[in-house]
Amino acid sequence: MEEYHRPCDECIDGVLGGEDYNQNNINQWTASIVEQSLAHLVKLGKAYKYIVTCAVVQRSPYGFHTASSCFWDTTSDGTCTVRWENRTMNCIVNVFAIAIVL
Amino acid sequence: MEKRGRGAKAPSVSAPQQPPVTPRKERRPSMFEKEAYAQILRERLRESIHDVQYVEPPFDDSIADLGKEWKSALAKLKFANSYRMEPLKKFQAHSVETKVQQILKESLQDVKYDDKVFSHLSLELADRILSSVKEFGYHRYKFIIKVLFIQKTGQAINIASRWIWDVAWDSWVSAKHETETFVALVLVFALYCE
Repeated sequence: MEEYHRPCDECIDGVLGGEDYNQNNINQWTASIVEQSLAHLVKLGKAYKYIVTCAVVQRSPYGFHTASSCFWDTTSDGTCTVRWENRTMNCIVNVFAIAIVL
Repeated sequence: MEKRGRGAKAPSVSAPQQPPVTPRKERRPSMFEKEAYAQILRERLRESIHDVQYVEPPFDDSIADLGKEWKSALAKLKFANSYRMEPLKKFQAHSVETKVQQILKESLQDVKYDDKVFSHLSLELADRILSSVKEFGYHRYKFIIKVLFIQKTGQAINIASRWIWDVAWDSWVSAKHETETFVALVLVFALYCE
């Protein structure tokens, strides 16, 4: 589980690094962050189902709460959250991994 | 470009002239190039910070070990094969959606946005929705509930999800509740555990 945040970090940096919040590109960015993270996770080659969620918010005085509740096997399944921020925006990426019992 | 050309020509050159060039010799990057790349990267990321917010299960705790003990004890019991390849009851998204929407409406009817209240309201709501989804009685399904509260202050937000799962049996539901001061979004993912 610890190696899951590194590929996500790299994906976000690659896509959003140095960019300012832009309404036109935002759809494209979120889609590419999520797809690239998923591709990296699959390359790890483990027998897991993955769910990747990404929320990108423009930076302004606002409040944001997020909670998640999961019903799974605590010994084999897990989650990882990465928060990335910039001068103009905040990005939160959440990865859930569910084990496939072979 | 010229390197590749040379490499391609090498095999056809006659033997006495043994070219030392291998077809795929990588050009050694100049020292300045490497530095420049690192510099550019640093420059781009100068204004950004990131941190890992939350990882579960905790790796040093003994909580994980407890589960493992139980699991290894369970392994000693031999279960007969059930020969069941598919779930008894497939996850019906529409009925779950109506139920979740109803819960959201009930609990968020007159609530105004408030920092302290919302931080534990979100957890409470997530647990409540989880228990109500469990009540539906979908056997062998694992659930993930995500609750998001966003204050309405004129900023834009974009949320995307992608997944890798079994398309036949796994599914998701989303419900939104909007008021004057905030928007509440609930995502429910159901995964069949084989």
